[in-house]
Amino acid sequence: MEALRERAASAPEDGAAPSEDGLDPSAPAVIAVRRHGDRSVPVALETGTFLKPGIMRRPGGALRVALAAVRAALCAGDDVRLHVDVGPGAELELVDPNGTVAYNARGGRAAWRASVRLAEGARMTWTEPAFVVSDGADVRREVEADVAEGAELLWRESLVLGRTGERGGRMLASTRVRLAGRPLFTEDLDLREPEVRGLPGVLGGDRVVGQVGLFGRDPGEGEGPDGPDLLDLAGPGAVWRWTGERPYKADAALTPVWRAWGGHT
Amino acid sequence: MSTDTGALGALLLADARLPTGGHAHSATLEAALEAGLPEERIPDYIRARLATVGRTEAAAAVVALRAARDPEPGAEPDYGPVQEALAARTPSRALREASATLGRGLARLARRVDADHPAVRALPTAQAATPGLRALRPVVLGALAAVFGMTAEQTARAALYEDAQTVTAAALKLRPGDPLTAVRWLLDLSPRIEESVRAAAATDVPHDIPAHSAPLIDRWAEAHARETRRLFVA
Repeated sequence: MEALRERAASAPEDGAAPSEDGLDPSAPAVIAVRRHGDRSVPVALETGTFLKPGIMRRPGGALRVALAAVRAALCAGDDVRLHVDVGPGAELELVDPNGTVAYNARGGRAAWRASVRLAEGARMTWTEPAFVVSDGADVRREVEADVAEGAELLWRESLVLGRTGERGGRMLASTRVRLAGRPLFTEDLDLREPEVRGLPGVLGGDRVVGQVGLFGRDPGEGEGPDGPDLLDLAGPGAVWRWTGERPYKADAALTPVWRAWGGHT
Repeated sequence: MSTDTGALGALLLADARLPTGGHAHSATLEAALEAGLPEERIPDYIRARLATVGRTEAAAAVVALRAARDPEPGAEPDYGPVQEALAARTPSRALREASATLGRGLARLARRVDADHPAVRALPTAQAATPGLRALRPVVLGALAAVFGMTAEQTARAALYEDAQTVTAAALKLRPGDPLTAVRWLLDLSPRIEESVRAAAATDVPHDIPAHSAPLIDRWAEAHARETRRLFVA
């Protein structure tokens, strides 16, 4: 029953969504990939209100797509949306070279929402570089991933509270990963109230959360480092989570894990 | 067994003398102190738990209670969905294992109290949903609450109170101080405990269980599990 409810709650909308929570209507960027022979080919690459997917020519069977900004985001009312669909046996490498900055919303809100579907045997690697939450920003970051049996998603992101010298605005980072329709990783990282996120046990004095998530399989024996930053999920999957003060240190901590778990360079 | 056991059950489940193994746990306080948590911030640590893992566990206990009390018509209770939802909200293996150990102690009690009660007979449905992982503490707590006839509020309060008292009791062993001060900490937090009780008691289905995470608690728990010299299991 839960699986059905979670699925219903995440049903993708087509085209521009009605305004909600003070967000302006926007169209999602859409990427759909299918396997054709021994290659993965795009069957849809649609530019959304904020993001434009573009193909990067690469050797090998995987399709590499990079996201480019159509216009500046995230300002008050912005609702950046991304839909990704990887068909059976297809392989996608998605990169976002620019990252995201949520600007001072002066009382308004913004959202950055991605929904990803991986069919049986599909594989996707996905890097989101720094997501910076400036002072005065109020942003929701939602990642929903539906991973079919036998598919594998490798994902990397860094959430940064504040630009240099700032303490950072409000962010709620929701992550829902389902494997074969059942919950695998469910998290609301609630960084909205500085007082709560600063509590010992939540983030304390840290302002950067960097993570690499592998969903659909466990890292093999000796595949990547071990240590207290390794979260071995109840189902097939793992998250390596680093928290600290400096974004560049997150990169140094995450890159070896990303590579060891099969991330592209 | 008598049916008028709700109020007494609530006291029993919150009593540290209950022989279910809770005394071996510090709710990750030992690891937090090891990582440098200053003694005077222990009340803030309890607060952090109330806003995150404590709230998740209390809500899961309430959802388990509802699964036990109101199963699908004609069916036995099924703890699979709540166990699965809670496991997905507990990314740290060390914390899942600590919770399963506590769940085991409570399950032993549940079987002794009323092995034939449908809420107790259904306990294996939890592990069936998460192979290799026994019923987690909040799931068994909810089952016991159903056996005792407790309300959702009583169940949530028992879960949250027990979590906070686990920290204060461990604090007195790890950083011996005035035990009366620890009582003060708890009473000062009572508005926040009650706020969490209300939120947890209003949770109906696994999907709605809060998932507010505490990254440093996860890391501390994982570091602690890798320690060889420790006073508390977790």
